[in-house]
Amino acid sequence: MENNVLSIHQIDKHYKNIQALRQVSFDVLKGSVFGILGPNGSGKTTLLGIVMDVLKASSGTFQWFGETPSAAQRKRIGTLLETPNFYHYLSAVDNLKISAAIKGVDESHIHTVLEKVNLGERKHSKFNTFSLGMKQRLAIAACLLGNPEVMVFDEPTNGLDPVGIAEVRTVIKQLAAEGKTIIMASHLLDEVEKVCTHVAILQRGKLLSSGSVQQILTDEDMVELSCNNMAKLKSIAPTINGCTRVEQNDNNLLLYFASNTAALDHINRTCFEGNIVLTHLVLKKRSLESKFFELTNTQN
Amino acid sequence: MFKALHIEWLKIRHYRTFWVLSILFIVAVLGINYISFEVKNSISHGRGDVLLGSPFSFPKVWQTITYLSSYVLFIPGLFIITLITNEYSYKTHRQNIIDGWSRATFIKTKLALVFIVASGVTCIVFLNVLLFGLSAGSGISFENIKYLFYFFIQALSYGSVALIIGLLIKRSGLSIAIFFLYSLILENVLKAILNKYGGSSGNYLPLKTTDALIPMPFIGDIFPYQPNITTALIMSGIYLILYYLLANWKFKTADL
Repeated sequence: MENNVLSIHQIDKHYKNIQALRQVSFDVLKGSVFGILGPNGSGKTTLLGIVMDVLKASSGTFQWFGETPSAAQRKRIGTLLETPNFYHYLSAVDNLKISAAIKGVDESHIHTVLEKVNLGERKHSKFNTFSLGMKQRLAIAACLLGNPEVMVFDEPTNGLDPVGIAEVRTVIKQLAAEGKTIIMASHLLDEVEKVCTHVAILQRGKLLSSGSVQQILTDEDMVELSCNNMAKLKSIAPTINGCTRVEQNDNNLLLYFASNTAALDHINRTCFEGNIVLTHLVLKKRSLESKFFELTNTQN
Repeated sequence: MFKALHIEWLKIRHYRTFWVLSILFIVAVLGINYISFEVKNSISHGRGDVLLGSPFSFPKVWQTITYLSSYVLFIPGLFIITLITNEYSYKTHRQNIIDGWSRATFIKTKLALVFIVASGVTCIVFLNVLLFGLSAGSGISFENIKYLFYFFIQALSYGSVALIIGLLIKRSGLSIAIFFLYSLILENVLKAILNKYGGSSGNYLPLKTTDALIPMPFIGDIFPYQPNITTALIMSGIYLILYYLLANWKFKTADL
């Protein structure tokens, strides 16, 4: 238990007609980069809102650091929730002074975090003069205040240009390398795959699966086959070495193999020896994207 | 609490609207009292008057200035509404909680701010009492200083109603519209209806109760209408407690 930074137990959240979360439970281990993956509207922000006490769960509980939630715990967590929330009429520095004062962090740290996100030159500009990317970077700077051991990022690369996205990912990886625990919500599979060690997949408020990234988001090889005697091919296909499962789409048979193990020559030979002459044989790397769609579609 | 109030100060010290409204309030209080002072002087040529009495001489001036100044209490109300709805529109009410304030700290700080604003405007009105009372050429007297306390209660009441409206409505334009509509028109309509059918219960609507603490000074001497101050004070106290409880309950239980 003491290894869990965050434990969520059977959290339910419903608004008037909408069930936003259904019985969501998972644990976030200390030192992990935990991705909460799901399409827009799947309940990611609602879940993070609940654990940061800006939303009230309809039922269920959660614990930070193995203790009942309290305001003092949140001072040890750097959080970016949904959008950068700052006083529009104040400068970057004045805004961070407020965050620092609430967290009980010394004001001298403000300069450091602004430099870290490359906002040093604009620190005296008002927030409402900032571009979307700069606002997002300021929000990340606010998260870094006080060098917290846990960070929560909700769509951290939202609104950033490609350079900005790369920078933010680098920052997150650096933080992870320093041993910090990071909880990150994202609808970008690619982002989760590149940055996270663990993942929970949410869809329409339901937890579809959670675990290590390797476990959940394994890549697969997919081979497309067709011939003149599909029935016979179907009977032989499952016997091919390494084939994990078989599916049929319009005119082709799809064979799945673990990543980088599909050998086309071996498949071809096996079929030929079974008196089947293939008319079509193509190796396709199955993208994580399609895996994600598969995970989220099966529940529809 | 001092630390939380210091954070509140960080939020408003560079907020131009705060300074503009503060100056407007001072100008408005001076203005409304000065106009009345001049009108009174032009009628009675600086002397006491059978009809009007000497409303700007001590000790009557305590009642006169606090009564007149209460007409511009909507300005601090406006400021309170702006402060609370700003938090909602910038979503900084969420950020303050996320950064490590408890919900209780947030709402208690806002309530404390209402108290401080009410104290501030009471100080300004106190200075006006001295200014006009001494200008009227009478010796200083603290005989009626209770009206300053009543004014403070009134300021607290207007500020709390503004806070509650801001908390419930969340959007600045609509909150301001409802605040004005209620304080200027709706409550008067309600009062008229209630007084017609329900005895004098209309006098104890939220803002009317505190208004009743300071009766109109000019006609007071010839039409000795004496509202029951004790009842009004008790009702004001009850309302203030209700505002406090409602604000706390709302902010602690709602989705932010």
